[in-house]
Amino acid sequence: MTAVQAALSGALIGGLYALMAAGLSVTWGTLRVINLAHFGLILVGAYLSYQLTSAWGIDPMLTLLVSAPVLFVVGAALQWAYDRFNIVEFNSLLVSFGLLMIIIEVSTQVWTADFRHIDAGANPYGTSALHLGPIALPVSRLVALGFALLLIGGGHLVLERTFAGRGLRAFAQDRTVAASFGIDHRRLGLVVGGLAGVSAAVAGMVFALGNTIAPAHAYEWFGTVFAVVILGGIGNLLGSLFAGLGVGAFSALVAVLWDPSYEPFVLFLAIILALVLRPQGLFTRRGLA
Amino acid sequence: MSVRKGLSALVGVSLLLAVLAHFNTSLGVAPYLLVLATSVLFWVIQATSWNLLSGYAGYFSFGQAAYVGVGAYAVAVLTGRHGVSYPVSIVVGGLLGALLALITGAIAFRLGSLRGEIFALLTLAVPFILAAFVRINRDIDGGLGTTLPLPAFPDWIGDFQHLIFLLMLAVATLAVGTALAVQGSRLGRGLSAIHDNEDAAEVLGVPTFRYKMIAIVLSGALGGLGGALLAVRNGAVQPELVFTLTVPLFVIVMAVLGGRRHWAGPVVGAAFVTVLQDELAALKLDQWGNIILGGVLVVFVVAAPDGLFGRLRARPWLTVGVFVPVLAGLVLSGQYTELDALLYAMVAAIVVAVVYDRLRPVAAPHRTTPAGAEPAGRTAPSPLSAPQPDSGRDLVAVAGVIRDFGGVRALDDVSLSVGQGEIVGLVGPNGSGKTTLVNLLSGALPPSAGTIAIDGRATVGLAPHKVAHTGVARTYQIPKPFASMTVLDNVAMAVMFGRTGASLPQARLAAADHLATVRLGHLGDQLPAALNLHQRQLLEMARAIAAEPVVLLLDEALAGLNPAEIDDAVAVIRRIHEGGISIIIVEHLLRVLNQLATRIVVLDRGVLIADGEPAAVLNDPAVVRAYLGRQRA
Repeated sequence: MTAVQAALSGALIGGLYALMAAGLSVTWGTLRVINLAHFGLILVGAYLSYQLTSAWGIDPMLTLLVSAPVLFVVGAALQWAYDRFNIVEFNSLLVSFGLLMIIIEVSTQVWTADFRHIDAGANPYGTSALHLGPIALPVSRLVALGFALLLIGGGHLVLERTFAGRGLRAFAQDRTVAASFGIDHRRLGLVVGGLAGVSAAVAGMVFALGNTIAPAHAYEWFGTVFAVVILGGIGNLLGSLFAGLGVGAFSALVAVLWDPSYEPFVLFLAIILALVLRPQGLFTRRGLA
Repeated sequence: MSVRKGLSALVGVSLLLAVLAHFNTSLGVAPYLLVLATSVLFWVIQATSWNLLSGYAGYFSFGQAAYVGVGAYAVAVLTGRHGVSYPVSIVVGGLLGALLALITGAIAFRLGSLRGEIFALLTLAVPFILAAFVRINRDIDGGLGTTLPLPAFPDWIGDFQHLIFLLMLAVATLAVGTALAVQGSRLGRGLSAIHDNEDAAEVLGVPTFRYKMIAIVLSGALGGLGGALLAVRNGAVQPELVFTLTVPLFVIVMAVLGGRRHWAGPVVGAAFVTVLQDELAALKLDQWGNIILGGVLVVFVVAAPDGLFGRLRARPWLTVGVFVPVLAGLVLSGQYTELDALLYAMVAAIVVAVVYDRLRPVAAPHRTTPAGAEPAGRTAPSPLSAPQPDSGRDLVAVAGVIRDFGGVRALDDVSLSVGQGEIVGLVGPNGSGKTTLVNLLSGALPPSAGTIAIDGRATVGLAPHKVAHTGVARTYQIPKPFASMTVLDNVAMAVMFGRTGASLPQARLAAADHLATVRLGHLGDQLPAALNLHQRQLLEMARAIAAEPVVLLLDEALAGLNPAEIDDAVAVIRRIHEGGISIIIVEHLLRVLNQLATRIVVLDRGVLIADGEPAAVLNDPAVVRAYLGRQRA
């Protein structure tokens, strides 16, 4: 029973991983920008939720009304800059690494390096749980899964069904040809960058619901989130969702059945194995990577 | 500067530094400068170690901390917990770094479709795994980190600070010397070609897998040694302190800032960044340190992606002319400490060099011309030495070859033989499998079934560079020159790594002949970016024949050319053929093939439907139907 409990609650955390990975995956897959600064945006999203909830005493979810537009603008501005200076692929990794350092240091100046958490009185989701028989599901994690399904499902439908989505996919496959068919990659890029910023705002808010926040977290997310992006297949939103749930459940199982300190060890070994066996991602159809 | 001279100069500088450090008190050099210099040397080791693979070959690693950690833990466990002597544990640290690199490389470089980003992320995972491993195994760490005893050393060294400086200096000299020697060697040229275009390098005969493995193992050994010395210096080891992201972050910033294609780049970068960090700490501005480093990284990748060293070297007198007076003036004024003066002088020199370059762009770098090359030890092989006429032998023998991509059969039971002296035209509609066949012949792809032999040797299962050595060379439909090398050196690469092999000076001599064959002799000093499409395709041909093939595969070498250029290219192809090389040419222009080819082979949807005299084949009704479609039907 503990294993079932662990796997379920781990899969729910996986919703958070998927949320964090979605923005990174989609800019990498469609715009060829590996935006490490995305981790900084998630951090800022978490701090904004914390700050606004503490200052105004409102429901943490309502803070998205502020943080989502703010991070939309920041994400779009970042994408504008990457495009303006023609920073793609490897250079984007380096430049956004520099930006991430700056964001983290500025966050440290503003919010200090201490752990912060949303006051229990203002956070109705922090400690409550949903009981299904013997299994308890923390509400903050259910929220994570809910948002992951909503955002990633929505994003997937947009990419698959709409004209803009098709344009983006065409652009990802061959930018010159796509451009010659009238696809304005600049405008699409701004929208995608902005939406990635919104996903960072949501991921940050969800993170703040159930965790303490510190600047160093941005680096700690690296390993797991990249694992989710790559296992899911770069640019594959549904893949990130499944990979997030899988990684979450797998980590939790290792922690419960073995020892919590084994978790990163086993997880990263599994990731390397997965990369060696299927470098194109677990959920990517062969030949379409 | 030859490698030998460079190494002598390096050892000389190191000895001078060692002597200066030994007499630092008598010379009036403040002790804290010795501490700072030790730090600089540690980062020189790490940045140089990183650069051997990531700079030269372009495979970015985020895993430098893994080598540092393994080296540090070797010392912590062996000396700290088991009382093994320091010299042994430090050497073990280097060996373990090399072993870790060997394992990482063996896994990572085996991934066929491995892209640079995936490699970067794989290496990012390694330090996480090791840190978790240390935390799990309390035997390694004791759970709280390990403290180390003070090492014993002879009296003449002075104190511990002098000892650790000398050790760091020795390993830094080893690291920089390795980087210098690699840069001037075949290995260095090969890594540079891998950086520019790995596929083209492999096809030209560069053993890319082996070279990458050598680079990563050297990098791991040096990183491990440096990490071991870090443990000695700090006197304590904890997972948080050695497996930190700060290490890869710093080395990347240093190498990018200094320049990644030259051994001196990481040295310049390490010195500048370490002194800058120290100055910020002295000014109580440490918290701004990462912001400034991050900003430096952003600005340099965007504005000066080639790094500082290139800029400084392009204007050596300007650099020295700014650095020395500013340093002297600041020190003599008595208002500044040596460190402040050093930093400000460095900043002044950098700013002037970069701004000056912005105002007056540097001309294309001057490269050695073959006339200036050392006399060759043996005569360079004549580019057109014709193989012995032997018309009875098949140079290319393809039998029953099948190639599937997923569910699609790109080639179905194709058999083909090409003899001495032939020019075989390979035609067919788009998607008929022509380029697939070229890829199979050059070894870039393995067949799903069937056999291929070049000059009597079976090539199925051989790595592409081995296939190249059996006597196949190819050109790419979209030219893939090595962008960082001159036109002459592009061709010289092919001679160096070709069937006979040669040193760089010999290769440059031979390369000049090959360039003359394709009539590009006047452009040898240019970078490929300066060439037009026609010239790039001629460069592709020169590079291909420089490998001294028996059979040359030309993949749409005439695509996109105007009529005059086509005539020119056809003349070049004839000359290559007269030199004794058999040719398989993929081409859509039947008019050209009709006059050029001795035989024409037609593919349609992966099936070979005709093979014979040009006139006969082109009038074959089946070919007309398949290839020319309904227009004529």
